[in-house]
Formats: sequence, structure tokens, C-alpha cells
Amino acid sequence: MRYRITHTTKYAYSEPVPVCHNKVHLRPRATIGQTCGLFRLIVIPEPIDVETEVDYFGNSVEYFSLVDSHRGLSITATSEVDVSATNDVANSSISPEWETLVEGLKSRPPQASINDCLFAFESDYAPKSRDLAAYAKESFTPRRPIVEAALDLTARIFEEFEYDPRATNVRTQVDEVLANKAGVCQDFAHFGIACLRSLGLAARYVSGYLRTAPTPGRSKLVGADESHAWLSVYCGELGWVDFDPTNNVIPTTDHVTIGYGRDYGDVCPIQGVFVGGGDQTLSVSVDVSPIE
Amino acid sequence: MQSQQQSSAGTSVAQAQVSHVPAPPDLFVGYQTNASRYDELLHPNGVARQTWQHFRGLLDQMGPAEFSRRWGHSQRLIYENGLSYSAYGDPDENARPWDLDPLPLLVSEAEWNKISIGIAQRATVLQLVLADLLGPQHLVKEGVLPVELLFGHSGFRLAYHGQMPPSETFLPFYAADLGRAPDGQWWVLADRTEAPSGIGFALENRVVVSRMLPDMFRACNVQRLAPFFIAFKAQLQRLALQQPENPRIVVYTRGPHHENYFEDAYLARYLGYSLVEAGDLAVRDDRVWLKTLDGLLQVDVLLRRPNSEACDPLEFSDDTALGVAGLLQAVRKETVGIANPLGSGLVESPAFMAFLPRLCKFLLGEDLLLPGIATWWCGESQSLGRVLANQSQLVVLNAYRTRGTGYASDKRLNAMAPEELRNLIQTNPGQFVGQERPALSTVPRWDDGAAKPANLVVRSFAVASGESYCVMPGGLARTSDPTVPNPLTVPASGGSKDAWVLSSKPVDHVSLLTHRDDRIVIRRTGGDLPSRVADNIFWLGRQIERADAAARQMRTFILQLTSETSTGNDVVPGTLLRALAAQGQIEPGFALDEIRHQLPQLESALPALVFDRDQPGAIRSLLDNMFRSASLVRDRISTDSWRILVHIDQAFQAPQIIDLTDVLSLLNGLIADLAAIEGMCMESMTRSHVFRFLDIGRRLERALQTVGLLDSCLIESSGNDSDTLEAMLEIADSVMTYRSRYLANLQLPAVLDLLLTDETNPRSVAFQLATLQAQIEQLPGDDHPPGYLPHERLILSMVHAVRMVDVLGVCESYDVGDRQVLASLMGSLDRNLQNLSREIANRYLVHAGPSRRMSTAPLSLHSEDHS
Repeated sequence: MRYRITHTTKYAYSEPVPVCHNKVHLRPRATIGQTCGLFRLIVIPEPIDVETEVDYFGNSVEYFSLVDSHRGLSITATSEVDVSATNDVANSSISPEWETLVEGLKSRPPQASINDCLFAFESDYAPKSRDLAAYAKESFTPRRPIVEAALDLTARIFEEFEYDPRATNVRTQVDEVLANKAGVCQDFAHFGIACLRSLGLAARYVSGYLRTAPTPGRSKLVGADESHAWLSVYCGELGWVDFDPTNNVIPTTDHVTIGYGRDYGDVCPIQGVFVGGGDQTLSVSVDVSPIE
Repeated sequence: MQSQQQSSAGTSVAQAQVSHVPAPPDLFVGYQTNASRYDELLHPNGVARQTWQHFRGLLDQMGPAEFSRRWGHSQRLIYENGLSYSAYGDPDENARPWDLDPLPLLVSEAEWNKISIGIAQRATVLQLVLADLLGPQHLVKEGVLPVELLFGHSGFRLAYHGQMPPSETFLPFYAADLGRAPDGQWWVLADRTEAPSGIGFALENRVVVSRMLPDMFRACNVQRLAPFFIAFKAQLQRLALQQPENPRIVVYTRGPHHENYFEDAYLARYLGYSLVEAGDLAVRDDRVWLKTLDGLLQVDVLLRRPNSEACDPLEFSDDTALGVAGLLQAVRKETVGIANPLGSGLVESPAFMAFLPRLCKFLLGEDLLLPGIATWWCGESQSLGRVLANQSQLVVLNAYRTRGTGYASDKRLNAMAPEELRNLIQTNPGQFVGQERPALSTVPRWDDGAAKPANLVVRSFAVASGESYCVMPGGLARTSDPTVPNPLTVPASGGSKDAWVLSSKPVDHVSLLTHRDDRIVIRRTGGDLPSRVADNIFWLGRQIERADAAARQMRTFILQLTSETSTGNDVVPGTLLRALAAQGQIEPGFALDEIRHQLPQLESALPALVFDRDQPGAIRSLLDNMFRSASLVRDRISTDSWRILVHIDQAFQAPQIIDLTDVLSLLNGLIADLAAIEGMCMESMTRSHVFRFLDIGRRLERALQTVGLLDSCLIESSGNDSDTLEAMLEIADSVMTYRSRYLANLQLPAVLDLLLTDETNPRSVAFQLATLQAQIEQLPGDDHPPGYLPHERLILSMVHAVRMVDVLGVCESYDVGDRQVLASLMGSLDRNLQNLSREIANRYLVHAGPSRRMSTAPLSLHSEDHS
């Protein structure tokens, strides 16, 4: 599949902002099944320079600053991305037993690359806990193949947790998500990651987009799509396998990856620091359109 | 204990020719050592150790009385120099002077050489570990270190990874806390790599103690500290990639509210660098700039004092948006050098102490020359077993620390019940280490006229130099009270000492001042005045004048109240009372009624009002504000001026019993002290921007105060009687001038001329305006548009308005009851002066305010939308 993605974020301020510094994760990265053919970042007012760096995980990061007073800021990222279905994990019974992976991650030197091990450690949004381990254990029964167990966990989150944007905000912690059994895609991803890490497994957060199908009989509304998030699990020789607990699927060609990290904090689409500004208001629109 | 009698004997001995007099009483009489500890001074048999013998002999010659006398003198210097450890930006916090002890620690050259080789080796290993962990990470990949030590480390931020620090060192500056075990062996108790504190204090201790004991300092061949600081400066200069010849190096401090601010300011001054806070710095175009009155100046090297994670809010998403946004990006672009590089604190966590012997072997193929105190990381099962089995003999510490947070948390751990602590360790063993609990050595400390033993820890410092490290000879000795049990080895604070490394032969005199051969470029400006400093200086000027005006007004009022020569009418006190209320010195309620009803109440209330720290207009509050502003720019104030400020703060305190006479004499003292500060400014400050902003602040406030006085006395009250006129002259310090011109003939036109329009009277409004105009013309501004800027227009219009006043005409109208002309003049001057203050602040002083984070959009994709 080929998509054209347009992601616009607008800030408006009640007072002038003399200076702001920004760091954005908006360029879809290359993965095994994904290539990004075109990427443009349009910032208004126009910064003197936009610099592209590569972060610890290999994601692209764009840096820019505005040093002239402004009352609004608009950031538009446009990309064209090809996505193809990759490893066939349907035959999940052949994946390694999860305990073997835990051992390999723990050994010294580790039997995985250390940057795979990194994702077994807790992070700000995905800490470990006994409660989470207990929740995960119901899916991770002894010697169960990892993919099968992770699919089961994904399904349980999908069934037991209610999708409710009012239940949480961007800073919600996983223990609240567990207590309320409610949240949005970001919360479900963090929850799943924290469960897996509590068992000693490595799991990472994937930031991206999801192509949404129009309601039957009506044309799709431009800009009505949204950013999406899911998780990815380290499965030994199978590599990393993605799971989307919000939709109870293994992502294939409807999901577009921007980047991954330990949690939301590592791949937050737009980070910025500014001075002044008074009240700020924010609006976001995302459009994911297939290209014929 | 020294008796009086002994003390006086000591004095006479010190003054006499020493050799023929019997030995005077010893400073160390009654000094008791503990048999289970190593004592620095004495062998277990009570004989002084070799290193101390010469020094001790010299002390004996001097005697305790002379020693105490000199120490008393030095302590005054310490106080007046504002040498303090806790936040001294706020006098209410009771800044505690740095607790220096006059008896130095003595270490022989041979012993110190061994220590410094060990410290240099340790710094070398830690540097290599940092370079690896923030780079290729071989140590973890090959299993020399467990992965957990990196990724489980709360102090490791991914953004630190991949830096290429200039001069290829990740650890330009290192410190180690050392202790001596009962067998005489030195051990490293802790490593400090983030941004080690203490070299400023070590320096100041040296200055104080060597001044107190100059004869002994010379006679003992004490190794100088200057060569270390020369190496320190050379290393910082090496970090400047773009300007290797003449780099701009700044000390980046956490600010006056931080406990180490004094040290930062002291160090900046000694090394000749600007002292800056995060708000003074900005990143533009991937370079770091210092915001000054003259515009942005590029900074090449930062001597970093805040923790790494507090340095760049764009990269480190802590809740506080502290630091300089974009700093790390400038580091990546290699336009700025930071000492130490961001992330250097990683290896100061106790967990690394457990691995250091192995790391040293792996990286250098050597054994550690200076062992660390035995440490076991509980993340390894064997170590965990050992720690749990010997829990009662060990100290348990957090395996990972971030500078500044470890101590309190470690203290809590060791205060827990053993069983509780055991459970905590077992839940998450990797978070803890067990460490041996050493018996520290003792060292004499001068306490209340006698030497008593105190626990000793020495912080030693090393700076990268060529392929290795240059170690400061001595360092900062710290002491703690051995009678107060503390489960933790290294004290958080306590006493401090100078440490002398004794050379066998005379030492060369080295000075940090530039070598005579270096050619100096003559310049007449200091450059680099950060806008924030100018702002504080401006307010300091205003506050000095405000305090002065308040004190003068109060003094005249009290004189009127208590004066026997008073004619008995209460017109004048009534008028002055309203003036005091207008200044906010007293509650407005006092000024409402007839004064005679208020008098008894006032007389008893007034003294307390003067010292009321909670009443914003009270003189004591004004002085607090003045002192606070002065503290914020301590590094720009001369030592003499600072002494006067400290004196004011100390002297102007409410005595136990106060009546109006006491208040009067304190006010007299205060007015004289404030005059001394003003004199000091006029006579000792070069006419730089610092002086300019101080003067603008003072002139602006004085003009406002005089306008206020005229308004209170002439508009709000009908003040055209000779008593009020005299009081006005008194308050405006113009009585002498008036008498010399007009003798005792008091008339409104003459008074008004002197206080308002006479440009030759340094107390008149006209004089302030003329001076303001001259100063404002000197303010920087290259990009001057045609015409006048708002603040220039304001000052011009005021100067003009006052010059155009027809004093006689105004007074004639006033006498027939028409105060309107004078009232509107006063009103417009007051308004314009306030506007002038605001315009100057807008143009030159206001820094943009605190940084904020952008809000982020919640992700709220509806699963129902997708099937």
C-alpha cells in the first residue's frame, strides 16, 4: 500500500512568544516493511533552519527554533509511505517460549543485542509492578510461545478495557489505566508494554498512523484521522512483532510507523519549549489517504 | 580547657624571644584520641607524628591565646566576606557562614604523591568508562558490566549518548572523597563526576588560613594551590574548539538561591570568568550566547554547575523547564564545550564502585592503586547473599544516585528497621549496594578554645591535563562530630579545613595572574554585562535610595515628636505622619485622626513598625530588599561595599528594649552607612554599565522620593509654614545649603527652588533629572532609529518641564490657595518617572521570563472507526 499522510499541528497564543525551540518526531522511519519516499516539514513562521538528526533508536528527529516574536505556530508534515505485509507470524505456535527470552535478556553478556535489552527496562510511562506481572501471567502461562501469549494479552486488553478519551490524558500512568480499565491507544500500548516488562520481556512503544476506513456510504472526511500508537514485542529469532491492543490486531498494511522508543516520551510527535505566550490552544489534524 | 591565666601567659610568650622561655601551654592539651581509630596528629603512644612535629612546635611557640586572637580576627573576615554555604540570597534563611576550622590538616609530600597517583588512575578509568557507556558500549556488550548498570540507571538519559566532547575527554574534572582506615591506609569513599563542588571553598580556606598563619605556612613549605588552578584554566581553554586563543568561558551557576552560589561566584571571580545563570544564556543557530546589554556574545565553554538533566528542557522532559533549551544540540554541533559534559554523573553512582577493580583491570590492565571502600552490588546474586548475611555491619546505599538527591534517601534507608530494609532489598536487589562501614581517622579541630578530635574526610580534586590528571595538592578537608552517630560515611555538611601538603624543600611561588610576558590589551570596559545583572543593579540602586529616604523621613518625624523646641502645635508631625503613611512606613490609619489622639499609641508602636519585616514599607523590610538585591549581584559589588551592607544588616536590628531615642540613634547610624555605600559607588566604581544602572536606579528613586515629599507636604497638607519647610529641608538634606544662602529666613519660593529646580543641589529633582539624562545618553544601542526612543522622550520632557517652572509664579498662586499648578506638576513628574522606570526595564532589563513546555495532543483514535 502507498499512503500520503498529512499531519498538521497548530498552536495559537494569547500573548506573543519571543522564542521557541522545537524537536519533532514526524518523519516515518524505514522499517522492514516500510519505506518513506517523500517527506516535507513545513513550519510557519518559517525557521531559519531545520536540522535532521537521528536519535538513539534510529528515528529521525527534526530540530528547529523560532527567534522572532510570533503568536501562532503551524507545523505540517507531509509524507508518502509504502507499506507491505512482512513476516508471517500467523503460525505463532512456532515462536520461542517466553521464559527462554527472559533468560536471554537477563544473561551476562546478554544473548540479545543490548539495544533489544534496553526495552526490558522500565521507563517513565511503562514501569514494572507486581500487579502488572500478575495480570500478564494469565496470558503468559508456563512455556507458552511468545507470539501466542502476546496475542492473548492483546485480545484481553481489547476486550476488558473500555476505549474512553475522557478517562485519561497524555500523562496518565499505567496503574490508573489498570484501575479504571479505560483509556486510549497510548494508554493501552503503555499498559501492554509495562505488563511485558514486568515479566522480564522486552517491549517497545510504536508511534504512527492508522488508515481509517470511511463509514459505509459516506466519503472519508479529510483530516479526521488521528495519530495512533501500539506496541512491539521482542520475539527472539522472529525479531520484533507489533501488536495493536486498541484494535486487537497484528498490524499489517493499515499501520504506518513513525518511530519507536521505550514509551511515548521518546517519540512524542512534537516537543517544544517556549517563553511567554499567555494561554495556548492546540489543534491537530491528520489525514492518511491511499494513493492509487 | 584553657584558663584565662594560661591565655595571658601565652600572649606574653608569643611576644617574647622564644628560644629561652619554657614551653608555653600546648594547644593540644587534653586532646584525646580513640584507640580504635587512626589519629592524624598523634601516634597511639601520644607522640606527634613526624609530619606534624615542626608545625606543632611552631604552634606551641605561638600559644593558644595568640592563636585564638588571630582566629577571632579571621572569623570576622569570613563573616564580612559573606562566605556562606546555605542560600544567602535570602537573609531570612539565616545564611550560615562556612564552618571553617583554623587548624589545617597536614599530609606529607610522599604520602600525598601516592594518593594523587591513585586519584589520577581512578579518574582515568572512570573517564574511559564514561566514554564507552556514552559511546560504543563495549563494556556492556562484552559483559564486563551488566546491562542493568546502564539501562537500569535512573541517571542515564539516552540523549547523553553519542556526544563527541572536545579534547576527547568525558571527565575533565573529577573529585574523590577519601577516608583513612585504622591501619593508616587511605580509601576512596565516593567518586564525584557530575559537577564536583568544593574547589572554591578549598581555595577560600587556603586564603583565610594562610593569612592567619603566614609564618607557619611559609615555614612548613606548603605546596601551593595555584598550579592546580592554572591547569584547571588550561583544561577549560582546551575545550574551546572555535576560539582556542581567547575563548569566552563562563561559570554556569544554579543561581543565588542555591547553596553553592557563593562558591561559584568566588571561583568565577578568581578564575576571571563571567558568572551566568540559565536565563543569561540562549541558543541561536546551534551556538550558545550570553545575553548582555550590548547584545548577544558567543560562549565557548561552560563550567557547568547544575546537574546534566537540568541543563536542557528540550531534551530532558522533567517537569521543571530549567536550563538552556537547545544546549545539547549545540554540543552535538560541537560549537560549545562543557565541563563536565552532560551525563558525566553516570559513574558517580555507588554501583560503579563495586565494579571499579574489574574495570581498572579490563581497561588499563592494572590494579587500582587507591582502593575504593568495599562495595557489593546486590544485582549479582552472590553479592546479594553477602550483603544480606552481613547486613548489620554494612551501610546500604541506593545503587544509582543523581547528584544532590542521594544523601537524604540513603539516610532514610539506614534508619529503617533491619527486617524492613531486607525486604526492600529483596524486592529489587539491583537498586541497592552494600558498603563497608569504615572507622574514619580523627583530626584535631579547634573548638571553643581547645583542640578536639573530629572525623575526617578529604575531598580531593583532579583536572584532566594532557594524557593524565593534575591533582590538587590537599583539597577540601571536611570534619564531622565523632560523638554524633551517622550511619553514612561521608558527611553532607559540617566543618571544613584547609589541607596542607608539606614539601621537603621550599616551594616556588606561583600566581594565577597572567604571566608578565603575556601582553595585555588595555581596555576600559569589562564587557559582558548580562541583562539580568543590570536589572538587579538597577533595583539595588533604587532600594538604597528608598531606604535612605525612609530613614531620613522617619528621623525627622521622631525628632519633631520628641523635640523640646517644638512649638507645641502638631501641624508638622501631622504632615510628616501623612508623608510616612504615603511611603508605606506606617498604617494609613495613623494618619487619619488628629495627631494628638494618636501620639501615645504612636510612640509605643513606632519602634516596632520600624523593624517590622512583614510591613512592606517598613525600614527593616526595605533593608531586607536591598540586601537581597545586593546578594543577587554579590559578584559585582566590591568587598568594602559588601562589608558595609553586611554591617547594616547586622546593626539595624531591634534591640531588646526600644524607645524612640534608640530608634533615632540606629537611624543615624543607618543614614551614615547608606551614605558610605553611596560614596563608595561614586568614588570606586568605574563608569561602566554597572555604575550606570546603579546610578539610574538611585537617581530615579531619589527624584520619586523628593517629588513624593513635596507632594505630601505641600499638596496633601498645607505646608507653607516655617516648621514644615524646615522639616522638608531636613529630610532632603539641604538645611546647610539653605542657611548659607538665606540664613534662617524660611520661605516657600526659596525652598521650592532648592528642592525642585536647582540643578546644582545634588538633592533636587532637577539634579536627578539632569543626571538621568546624561546616563541615559550613555546607554548602549547601535540600532538607534531616527528620533527619540520612548525612555529618551520621557526624560527630555521631564528635564524640560522642570527647567520651565516659574517658581515665583507657582508660589504666588499657592499662597492665594491655588495649588493646582504645583499639584499637576508633581502628578506628571510622578507618572513620568514611573513610566521611565518601566521603559528602561522594557528596553534593557526584562528577560523574557520562565520557559514553558508546549502542550501535546492526546492520541484518541476510536477503535470503533476501524474494523
